[in-house]
Amino acid sequence: MRIIALTCPSCGTIVAANELEEAVLMTCPGLECEETLGFEQLSEADRKHFIEHLDQYRL
Amino acid sequence: MKGVLLAGGRGTRLRPITNTRPKQLVPVANSPVIQYGIEAFREAGITEIGVVLGNKGRERIQRFLGDGSEFGVDITYIVQGNPLGLSHAVGCARAFVGSDDFVLYLGDNIFEDDLSELVTGFANSEAVASVALGNVDNPQRFGVADVDDQRNVTRVVEKPDDPPSSLAVLGVYAFSREVFDAIERLEPSWRGELEITDAIQLLLEDGLTIRSHVVDGWWMDVGKPEDVLEANRHLLETNGPARADERVDESEIPDGVEVHESATVEDGTVLRGPISIAGDTTIGDGASIGPYTSIGPGTTVRNAHIENSVIIGDSKITTENEVVNSLLGRGSTVKSANGMPADSPRLTVGENSIITL
Repeated sequence: MRIIALTCPSCGTIVAANELEEAVLMTCPGLECEETLGFEQLSEADRKHFIEHLDQYRL
Repeated sequence: MKGVLLAGGRGTRLRPITNTRPKQLVPVANSPVIQYGIEAFREAGITEIGVVLGNKGRERIQRFLGDGSEFGVDITYIVQGNPLGLSHAVGCARAFVGSDDFVLYLGDNIFEDDLSELVTGFANSEAVASVALGNVDNPQRFGVADVDDQRNVTRVVEKPDDPPSSLAVLGVYAFSREVFDAIERLEPSWRGELEITDAIQLLLEDGLTIRSHVVDGWWMDVGKPEDVLEANRHLLETNGPARADERVDESEIPDGVEVHESATVEDGTVLRGPISIAGDTTIGDGASIGPYTSIGPGTTVRNAHIENSVIIGDSKITTENEVVNSLLGRGSTVKSANGMPADSPRLTVGENSIITL
């Protein structure tokens, strides 16, 4: 199973794609980081794979 | 070598305590469980740690650990969100780990042995993984490893009816980057999770070597209220083995008794070590504490006899009955019901509860 995650360019905090997809846009959960992270920042291939296999990423 | 500390999971076996706090912050001997993992990494010389957070209580864990500097480590947070399994959590850490080897530590585990032997043995080997194993009496309840004459793992089976050995897979592993490729090839198990045992099995099927490291010392997966009490008992005993049974004045704290400098122990209190009393706590009016008891910060105890228990903190315990073998959540009140004697009930009480005994 492909595990898709995004690394915050400001603080290095890593966020799994399932969190990004649920939030659409989120403030980086890193300590005192104000970067905005979003599902759209994932590569097109990662987004396509995630959406095509959505059931795997949800409980 | 980096460290990956798992701090997700729902903590369902620790309800109601975990209804309001993540299980990794439940205190044992007045230190949150997760702190033992952080210290184990540091003592093994691993200071770059990725902490994997679930979707429950993650801000509280971040507030406690901060950037790690208070504990002498450097923490990167990894938000897994949904608990999709240990292998999914590890997979989320791939960018953090990079091309390094890493030690995976389950954040609700405590080990008496340090990690150095496992880390050194793995680093000096050709193996792609090393798995900590422990001898157990009931292997049917664990993931169980089969090992060969060289102590290399040959098979891992989950909760087998007919276990191949008594060696249970414990909550610490060392991996090289090959594990990420194995995880990419996994499919979710029947319970919808990516299992770490399945990743290990794939590495074995690839013909790669997996070492085992048998843990001789005490260990505990702190998953249930009775596990918290047992871990508390063990850690208090090993950290403060001297015992005492005597009445004390404020200035006379017996051996085996750890009392924070901001705690108040009034005359006539009986303290039986080993116990730990946190700051801003008041013990008085003939209260009797211990043995094997941790009283968390901001707690007041009067009259009561408390034994083999963990009081998380900010609680008020004034019952004239005994509180024994109990785990009390933050903000609990336990008071007397006049003329209603109780027979030392065992309590597991969530936050802000009021119990009348």
